[in-house]
Amino acid sequence: MGVAILGNVTQKLTVGWLYPDLMNIYGDRGNILTLVKRAEWRGLEASVVELGRGASDRMNDVDVFFFGGGQDREQALIYDDLREFKQESLQRAVANGAQVLAVCGGYQLLGHYYQTADGERYDGIGLIDVRTEAGKKRFIGDVVVQTDIGLTPRTLVGFENHSGRTFLGSGAKALGRIIQGKGNNGSDKTEGCVQGGIIGTYLHGSLLPKNPHLADHLIAAALKRRGDGALSSLDDSAELAAHGWILQRAQRR
Amino acid sequence: MIRKTAAVVAGKATGALSRFTGRGGGTTLPGDVARAIDPRILTRLTKDLTYGSIVVTGTNGKTTTARLLSWLLEGAGHRVVANRAGANLIFGVTAAALNRAGSDGKLKADWGVFEIDEASLAKAVEEIQPRATLVLNLFRDQLDRYGELESIARKIEKALASQPETARAILDADDPRVAEIGLNLTIKPLWYGLEDTSVATKTLPHAADARTCPKCGTSLIFDAVYVGHDGVYHCPNGHFERPRPEIAATNIKLDGFDALALTIEGTRIEMPLGGLYNCYNVLAAYAAARSIDLAPSYIADRLRTFKAAFGRQERVEFRGRHLILVLSKNPAGFNETVRTAVELAGGENFVIGLNDRKADGTDVSWIWDVDFEMLQGRAKVVIPAGGRAHDLAVRLKYAGVGAENPQTDPGKTLDLLIKSTSEGDTAYLLCTYTAMLDLRAELVRRGWASPYWET
Repeated sequence: MGVAILGNVTQKLTVGWLYPDLMNIYGDRGNILTLVKRAEWRGLEASVVELGRGASDRMNDVDVFFFGGGQDREQALIYDDLREFKQESLQRAVANGAQVLAVCGGYQLLGHYYQTADGERYDGIGLIDVRTEAGKKRFIGDVVVQTDIGLTPRTLVGFENHSGRTFLGSGAKALGRIIQGKGNNGSDKTEGCVQGGIIGTYLHGSLLPKNPHLADHLIAAALKRRGDGALSSLDDSAELAAHGWILQRAQRR
Repeated sequence: MIRKTAAVVAGKATGALSRFTGRGGGTTLPGDVARAIDPRILTRLTKDLTYGSIVVTGTNGKTTTARLLSWLLEGAGHRVVANRAGANLIFGVTAAALNRAGSDGKLKADWGVFEIDEASLAKAVEEIQPRATLVLNLFRDQLDRYGELESIARKIEKALASQPETARAILDADDPRVAEIGLNLTIKPLWYGLEDTSVATKTLPHAADARTCPKCGTSLIFDAVYVGHDGVYHCPNGHFERPRPEIAATNIKLDGFDALALTIEGTRIEMPLGGLYNCYNVLAAYAAARSIDLAPSYIADRLRTFKAAFGRQERVEFRGRHLILVLSKNPAGFNETVRTAVELAGGENFVIGLNDRKADGTDVSWIWDVDFEMLQGRAKVVIPAGGRAHDLAVRLKYAGVGAENPQTDPGKTLDLLIKSTSEGDTAYLLCTYTAMLDLRAELVRRGWASPYWET
């Protein structure tokens, strides 16, 4: 395997996994593995920093953060910790060009708030201009999205399972338009959000393994701040076959 | 009474018709029909039982444990009615009871042994009024269908709390979420658990759930990990710990998928089932059997000749290859079957089957929680199969496991298996529920296995 040399230094990619033991409900490890492997296959030195509860001085090293979904019980356990130990350093990292992928519960918590059916509000950390309200019916099923952020192919495929209805403010742009599924709120045909280096989405499945182009987008964007963000191409036939399988099924419906 | 008889007759006719037309084993539809005529039919039928019922629930091991228990009761001369084909919703239980009712509408059996889907337990307890309820474990499973583990756990707790005082809860002390349920009950449960750290690991698998203290939310400390998040644990702040098991298994010996041995209450049990996860099933069945006063020596003797259920370590000879079919349907289960096949049995040839129909769960993201990395460098042939074979192929690629081309067709899967293995080879078919049914149906079609309702 070739080694990417920049001067005489091997390029590094550090993936920061927020609350891996508590926010990991929908096969989120797939997203981490995909980032790491795809970096390694290009000769980068990749590592994972687990950012559990409590303070961590490794937040500054992270190139790509991943923040997954959790059950209500676990989500309640990280709620204060996120504010106390992560909010500030996450904000700083993003300002310095780190990338963030947040899925489902993680996506909601990065927004302004989550409002329950009884009107009670739980504040998020406001890194992205979105707000979420509880809905009655859970949205469960395959999702196909058409993106507009320069990805090839333009589609993203995944699986959603959420009752939150997320609405975008003017600061956030939709990650894409829904072709199949419900997405952010089931009404405005949008799915996910992009704001600076942060991508929020309801798609799991896991998301990145079946969408290698999005994984590369995150890796390239994170590396760009240290100079070269161009990535060599990989054989993605297996990944794109899984991607295509969902697209085909969506067309048959 | 007339209504009960009418319901029984109509239900039984439906079952016969369903089997006759080859539309499956008639394992649930008759229950549907009978319940439409008499919604209380299951209660009325189970009241006919000489001794009563035992109900088995939990994420993994229901079918095997229920089958073990039936085996023990039948060997002791009891007539047992059981929902054997894994039809574990209330309709399946009703159908099983109907199947054993006479034309007079009376259920002719001494015991009922029913495996019940976790989400249906409350209804089952209410209708069946069991003498004992076994809760085996609570793992992450089919989130699209069951919802979060937490809501299932609360449902089970409510069901157990509603049992009459005479009914026993028999619980796995090693599962923190099951223990939490048991500690909330007013009547003390019968706890069982493993006591042999020689078969334990120290670290939790990635997909472990229930790893925080119910009182203070601190991460639990695990002194031993047996299966999934089942092990020996305590809260570092002293709020919560694993209850001491009254029925404990020690001196565990494992021999691949072929055999296991363990000692319970001083009695050595040796039997033809494999894997650490089956030690839990044997222990659970033993605890239930003891709760109704079967003798330890009898239990040990009887278990020696036990046969596994459909798709649970079932063995099929296929063109000179030894196929071992093992249902693997969620991360905790899959991790154990892969571990048993690779580490204990030295398995080299695999078909991994993944479907995403309703019975499998339509969300396949959980495959990323399975440690397929265990196959790396050990497996020679790995065939990703089933409707979502392409997803499996990607999973295996990122696990560093060299795999064959994904096969979505059961016939082509078997053809490739024959092509890539030799006569005398053993192959492990680890599959989700309907992926197993599909492969099995293909084996039946080619004359290598019998239909599942005959096993």
